[in-house]
Amino acid sequence: MGKHEIRMRRQRLTTRGTDRFKNYGAVLKQHEEEKRMKKIVRVFTFFLLIVVVILLIVVVNKWEKKARVKKLPVTSYQLKVSARGEVNS
Amino acid sequence: MSEDEIRKEQEVIERSKKDPNAFGEIYEQYFDRIYNYLYRQTDDEELAGDLCSQTFVNALNHLGKYEFRGFPFSAWLYKIAGNEVNKHYRKNKGKKVFSIEELKVKELVEQSDEGWDEELITQVINYMNELPTDMVQVLELRFFEDKDFKEIAFILDMTESGAKMRTYRALDKLRTQFNIKVKYNG
Repeated sequence: MGKHEIRMRRQRLTTRGTDRFKNYGAVLKQHEEEKRMKKIVRVFTFFLLIVVVILLIVVVNKWEKKARVKKLPVTSYQLKVSARGEVNS
Repeated sequence: MSEDEIRKEQEVIERSKKDPNAFGEIYEQYFDRIYNYLYRQTDDEELAGDLCSQTFVNALNHLGKYEFRGFPFSAWLYKIAGNEVNKHYRKNKGKKVFSIEELKVKELVEQSDEGWDEELITQVINYMNELPTDMVQVLELRFFEDKDFKEIAFILDMTESGAKMRTYRALDKLRTQFNIKVKYNG
C-alpha cells in the first residue's frame, strides 16, 4: 500500500454544491485581519530590535567602563603615620 | 486560455494589488475549479471548502510577490492549493486521498478485450494505490484538471520532462498490466 488512498466516486462534481462555501467577503475579512496581524508583528519586532540594540549599547558601555577602571594606573600611595606623628611613605 | 484573456486577467491582478476588492473577479472565476481540485484530494466537502478559502486568502496576502510567468493565474492558485493540502496532511499525519470520478476514468481508459466491470475498476484502483504519490498527482493534473506539462511542472515544482516521464511511465504500466488502451497520446 502506498502513501495515498484512491477512492472512486460515482457522482460528478458540480458547481451547485460549491455555492455554500463561496464567500468572498469572509476571504477579504480574513485577509485584512492577517494583514493587520502582520503589521503588528512587524512593528513589535522592530521595537524589540531597538530595545535589544539599546540594551547591547548599555552593556557594552558598562563593560568598557569597568575595563577602563581596571586599567587605571595607581596614582596614590599609602601613607603610614607612626604613633609619634611622623609620616612615612 | 487565449493571450487576450491572459492579458485581461493580468490587468485584474495588477488592479487587485492596489485594491483587494478587484480580486473578487478572480475569486468568482476560479473558485469552483480550485474547490474541485481540493475536493479530489481530500474527499471531504467541508475540508475542501476551508482549504479553498485559505488558498484565496494566501493568494491575496502574497499577491504583491506574484509575477507573470506565461501561465494563467490559475496555475499559481493550484500551486498554493497544493501546498495547503500538503500542509493539512503533514499536520494531521493522514494518508493522502485522491477521490477520482469513475466517469473520468472511463473516459480515459478504453476497453479492449474484456468488458468494463467492477473487477477491472478495483484492479485499476489497486494499481493506482501502488503508484508513487507524485505520479498520481501528475496524472490527476493532466487528466482531471486538463493541465499541460509546463503548467504541471510549475504547480508541482518539477521539471517539464520529469512531469512527462512520470505520466508516460504510469500510462505504460496501465496499458501493459491491464491490457487496455489508453485514449491519451499527447
